[in-house]
Amino acid sequence: MGFLAPWFLAGLAALGVPVFVHLLRRHVTTPRPVSSLMFYERGTQSSTRHRRLKYLLLFALRTALLLLLVLAFADPFVRRSNADANGHMLLIVLDNSFSMRAGTRFADAKRQALSVLAAKSNGEKAQIIALGGQLEVLTQPITDEAQLRSALASVQPGDGYASFGELGRAVRSLAETVRGPIDLHLFSDMQHTAMPANFADVILPGNTKLVLHAVVDDPTQPNWTVESVEAPTELPDPKDLRHSRVHAVVVGFGTPAAVKSVSLIVNGKTIASRKVNVPASGRAAVDFAPLDVGYGFNRCAVRLEEDDAFTADNANIFVVRRSDPERVLFVHAAGDTRSATYFGAALRAAAQGSFVLQSISAEQTADVDPSRFAFVVLSDAVILPPIFEHTLAQYVVKGGNVLIGLGPGAARHTSIPVWGGEVQDAHNYMRLNSVQRVGQVDFSHPALEQAQPGHNNGGWADVKVFYAAVVDSAQARVAARLSDGTALLLDKTIGEGRVLLLTSGLENLSNDLPLHPVFVAFVDHTARYLSGSARLSGSRLVDSFVELRSTGKATGAAANAEVIGPDGQRPVSLSEARTAQTFRLARAGFYQIRFANGRDAVIGVNPDRRESDLEPLPKDVQQLWGGSSSSGESQVQNTVLDEMKNRSVSLWWYVMLLALVVVFAETAVASGHMGTQREEA
Amino acid sequence: MQRFLDPEVLASISSLDLLAKTVVDGFVAGLHRSPDFGFSQEFAEYRAYTPGDDLRHVDWNLFARTERCYLKRYRGENNSQLTVLLDASNSMQYASGSSSKMDYARFLAAAMFYLAIHNQRDAAGLIVFDDEVRDYIRPSVRPGQLARLFAGLERAEPHARTDFAKPLSHFQNALHRRGIAIVISDFYDKPETIVNNIAPLRFRGNEVILFHVLDRQEMRPAMKGSAVLVDLETNLKLEVIPEYTRTSYLNKIDAHIEDLRSRALGAGMDYQLLVTDQPLDRALREYLTLRQAGN
Repeated sequence: MGFLAPWFLAGLAALGVPVFVHLLRRHVTTPRPVSSLMFYERGTQSSTRHRRLKYLLLFALRTALLLLLVLAFADPFVRRSNADANGHMLLIVLDNSFSMRAGTRFADAKRQALSVLAAKSNGEKAQIIALGGQLEVLTQPITDEAQLRSALASVQPGDGYASFGELGRAVRSLAETVRGPIDLHLFSDMQHTAMPANFADVILPGNTKLVLHAVVDDPTQPNWTVESVEAPTELPDPKDLRHSRVHAVVVGFGTPAAVKSVSLIVNGKTIASRKVNVPASGRAAVDFAPLDVGYGFNRCAVRLEEDDAFTADNANIFVVRRSDPERVLFVHAAGDTRSATYFGAALRAAAQGSFVLQSISAEQTADVDPSRFAFVVLSDAVILPPIFEHTLAQYVVKGGNVLIGLGPGAARHTSIPVWGGEVQDAHNYMRLNSVQRVGQVDFSHPALEQAQPGHNNGGWADVKVFYAAVVDSAQARVAARLSDGTALLLDKTIGEGRVLLLTSGLENLSNDLPLHPVFVAFVDHTARYLSGSARLSGSRLVDSFVELRSTGKATGAAANAEVIGPDGQRPVSLSEARTAQTFRLARAGFYQIRFANGRDAVIGVNPDRRESDLEPLPKDVQQLWGGSSSSGESQVQNTVLDEMKNRSVSLWWYVMLLALVVVFAETAVASGHMGTQREEA
Repeated sequence: MQRFLDPEVLASISSLDLLAKTVVDGFVAGLHRSPDFGFSQEFAEYRAYTPGDDLRHVDWNLFARTERCYLKRYRGENNSQLTVLLDASNSMQYASGSSSKMDYARFLAAAMFYLAIHNQRDAAGLIVFDDEVRDYIRPSVRPGQLARLFAGLERAEPHARTDFAKPLSHFQNALHRRGIAIVISDFYDKPETIVNNIAPLRFRGNEVILFHVLDRQEMRPAMKGSAVLVDLETNLKLEVIPEYTRTSYLNKIDAHIEDLRSRALGAGMDYQLLVTDQPLDRALREYLTLRQAGN
């Protein structure tokens, strides 16, 4: 109990007014004249007592009225337990991203979260959310403290990358379903890399009060990490120094200049070590060549030997698969010899490709088994022997991949093998004395993937297309379009396999694509994409997804997919193994995967290197986000805990209501007295 | 015309002359309009002539038509004497409304005087008394008598307390001729005492009327709370609770009125209770009724 404006209590001096009025004027009564007292009798005692009672009541009411008015202005409040705070929800977000593994950050954060949860009143709802690579909602808004504590205790440090922007979006959507106020307590190391570029992404809704609990032990500790590793995923020949090399980049965050020992580890054995001078808070590259690995999957790592503030990020793992070069079946039309030349040259020039092109004409494919090839290319080969066409269709359904180029010969034949559609029309731009260029490219498509395409559309803008077939793009992903909107590259999933359809040819008659450098990159990416080698080895980031199967439908006993995690456990259940289309790589380490099409893969998964930068958000940004201006962390903590246990409830409204009631009562009693006095007068 | 008899209206008229004229003219005009009121002071009846009768009273017109000799008889040609005994004690100044009991008594007396002198040609006199006789105006019909009476009424301010025993001897000396004696008072005394003191007035053949003037608040006092009451005559104070006024007081005042009425009637006096919020016509009618009876 207290007063928010105690100086108004000076108004209690006004209580002297009713005291004065009642003490000095109480006995002043006007005698009432009568003709004779002949018939009257004295009734003194009862009369006096009755009058005193009534006057005391009036006095009490007037005093109470003044007292209540003074109290109302003084604004009394009581501290009430939050147990009765209806709709008040406590949202505890515990950061379990990779950086929380540093030092005792995660343990500290969990301990603080548990203490905040313990301070929660019994009636208050709470919800536990783990902020890792993905926002995991561990409980619904519930009041059961045991369940909440259990959920909080079950949170373990992960390997994901925490994004405050994702948290902001999640809380905004959550606030739409929660009517009452939300107290969001974020327990995190407040990495500045977790803050999105746009501050508007982390702005919380109005009914959410953010309390930041930063668990930064020592932000000035230096940390080095292996930022990136470039290594071949497929290595046919270890002695080929052009491909058989590992290029690693060591970076320091808030570090002084230092000489770091970097080791290359293959299958648990250190095969090479290098000393590298890393400048202060800078980067340094180190190369290991040749990369001598055996056949099969080789689990490799580039590791910093010395420990630092965050040892968990000192290694960067990857997988190199050594195998013989894979063959690619290139089927071309009888009169087409250019396309095989261009495609083969591009395939050989590709940096990481290890394919051997086997070129045959369409007529020679009758007894060819496509399953022996990494993928099949049909260059203007729209007329295939029926047996091969059938075999090819079965090959695609079972997981084979085909690239189809529709050259000028496609215009004469409406049916497109394997694709399941027809050529609806053919644009011959040469006849129109015009040339179409590639207007729209989906660089997220694996065959067209480019990190920074540039102003000329990644080189595609220079490509001239003279001829393009028009096909039905239904059920297919259009990866590139010409300037007039004609689909140039389409991707369709058929069964477990994929068919890429280029509506122009692979030679230089229907377009000049083979003459451009982008053709090599296109062929390289397409070969890796269609052969599946890109996903069989190499490295990924935590929380990336691998595609277990092309469709979600199980197509038989052979369609099971298997995943063995870094800890040797199978994170995918049996039912998921039959139906799951994708799998999230949630942990760092080596994943062993068998895809639904029967191919095996081993993938090294690394945490996002943004988690290695342990520098926290600047204080002003934290205060701007949390809207807090208090100075000390402990003071904030105590204040927050106190506010959670109790909240101040102002009583001025009730006091004024009571004063109103007293006003009515005083009016009624006073009018009764005045009526008596009028009668007496 | 009734509104001119209303005490509330009369209280706003300052001149007693005008007031009395207003009251009586209005009252008489009301009488003439009433067909049921068969009172007349001009003609009473015909009577057959008997030898010895005064021939001046023979109706010769009737004799000429019928050849019978009848006497025409007239009523009330003799003059009466009206004496108003006005109580001017302090208790008469009590008022709960716009006019006090004294005002009401003045109005009443003035109206009586006007009616007696102006309309009836009766002699009228006034005795103002409290515990002794304070003013006495001999009954007369001389010109200016009405003005003297009104002046006497104006002078009659409430004073002292009522005592019927003391001034009564003077009453008897003053009322030596038979007539009508009207006592206007609030009669705050024992009925036995009142009647015993006033009854001797009848011994000389006077008709005595007691006009008991009371305020409405005296009959039915309304008290919302306890109060200190002060006696206007004795200045004694008394705290009274409303419960008493609602029960015992009513019984006592009603018993007092009834006792006084019965004792007055038993002593051959007329009694009339007048409440100050009632019109004056009841009192005037009472007077005229007695006047008609031959006094």
